[in-house]
Amino acid sequence: MAGNEIRTEPSLPFPPQRERPMLVAEGLHKSFGRRQVLRGVSLEVLSGQVISIIGPNGSGKSTFLRCLNLLEQYQQGRVFLDGQEVSSGKPQNHHPGRAERAAARRLRCRMGMVFQHFNLFPHMTVMQNVSAGPLHVLKMPPREAAAVAEAALRKVGLWEKHPCDPATLSGGQKQRAAIARALAMNPEILLLDEATSALDPVMTKEVFRVVRQLAAEGMTMLLVTHDLDFARAISDRVVFMDAGLIAAQGEPDYIFGQRPTESIRQFLSAAD
Amino acid sequence: MAIIDFLLKDIFLLDLLKAAGYTLLLTGTAMPLAVALGLVLAGLRLSRRKWLAWPAATYIEVIRGTPLLVQLFLIYYALPQLGEYFNTDWLTWDKLYVGIFCLGANYAAYEAEILRAGLEAVDRGQREAALCIGMSERQAFQRVVLPQAFRIVVPPLINDVIAMLKDSSLVFVIGVQELLTVAMAIGRSRFTVPRMMVAAAVLYLVMSMACYFLGKYLERRLKVQARAELQQHHGH
Repeated sequence: MAGNEIRTEPSLPFPPQRERPMLVAEGLHKSFGRRQVLRGVSLEVLSGQVISIIGPNGSGKSTFLRCLNLLEQYQQGRVFLDGQEVSSGKPQNHHPGRAERAAARRLRCRMGMVFQHFNLFPHMTVMQNVSAGPLHVLKMPPREAAAVAEAALRKVGLWEKHPCDPATLSGGQKQRAAIARALAMNPEILLLDEATSALDPVMTKEVFRVVRQLAAEGMTMLLVTHDLDFARAISDRVVFMDAGLIAAQGEPDYIFGQRPTESIRQFLSAAD
Repeated sequence: MAIIDFLLKDIFLLDLLKAAGYTLLLTGTAMPLAVALGLVLAGLRLSRRKWLAWPAATYIEVIRGTPLLVQLFLIYYALPQLGEYFNTDWLTWDKLYVGIFCLGANYAAYEAEILRAGLEAVDRGQREAALCIGMSERQAFQRVVLPQAFRIVVPPLINDVIAMLKDSSLVFVIGVQELLTVAMAIGRSRFTVPRMMVAAAVLYLVMSMACYFLGKYLERRLKVQARAELQQHHGH
């Protein structure tokens, strides 16, 4: 790995080889019409880090995540993935050209995304869901794609469900299948958009276990969540967003323990 | 047996069956045309680009707002005159083609609206999930959105196949030898119009019922998944 020479800062709780910036967002601005949703959000995610974004509804957390993989186009700012600029701000109502669309596709192949409502393809089996990416996007031969899908499903502990329809799975299983679908593309970073918000506590724990395992294996993850216990337990760093800006960020104990700003105090005391 | 002999007497069953074959030919070619053209129209209408959406919407409204009979007359009689004016016979078509074209172009407007509703009924998250594993917009549409929309639109599409079976009788005004035209001709020549109409109606009914069962079969096959989904929702 490239970062062996980088000096370690004592405050960071993870080994030095993890310190390569994997994802950098620089001053993202995003408006829907005249409503400003992001007002200059900058964030650095180091390789192997798990970062949680918390904050009230409408603070722009999900929009920020969706801007990173260009499900939404932001107006100003830049995004770097592994040191390489992958997208930049475009005016509203900008229609991407062919080259831009191809670039967005390449970018999304490197960033896995997991949604609140799973968004599994209901007309495909679990196996077809997970192998769709390797098969149709990476153009792997069917046997190879199946092997990749099997490995991904085994990783989330769902291999025995591979011939099933997604509709027959429980919520937690659906979300694990969705994570497997993202993992099958072998992404450099995983974005989880309220991955546990639609799940009951038992199912949440199920997904939590998978996410923790991925974190232990060094997967870089950026997650938006309303589950504060989850955020506290899993994260290397917690980012608090409010009104389209990052109001504060730091280690979980700092954010949850010291509650550095008034907005965090309000938000967390309401959640207590 | 006597009653069956009486019923079948003088209805020229073979001629009627052959004419019913034309009816099936008209529907069997015009309906795929309508669905294909309807899909294009639906896609254009859903486009965010106004200059694509607007003509499609206009086409749909104009076609839906004028009688099929008028459209048949215009295409069959008016187009050749226009061709004469421009000194070309490109606009003079065989009546069978005119029938297929008119039925297809007319039903396309209705199918477009059915397909648009079907496409819009597929959750936005499906397209986004497809894009997020790196699919192109086209792949997301073909592999993810369209198959799900198809499941939704099968019942109304079958409904329109049955409607078209019967509407295809309107092409008798331009003299295509379909079921109604032939039944009418036989009836008139032998003064047995009521009997021929009943015979034609029975044949239409038989064809409609066949479509109905075909539709049921298709729905059942597609519904297996949907039912499992429903049970899952009740389970929560």
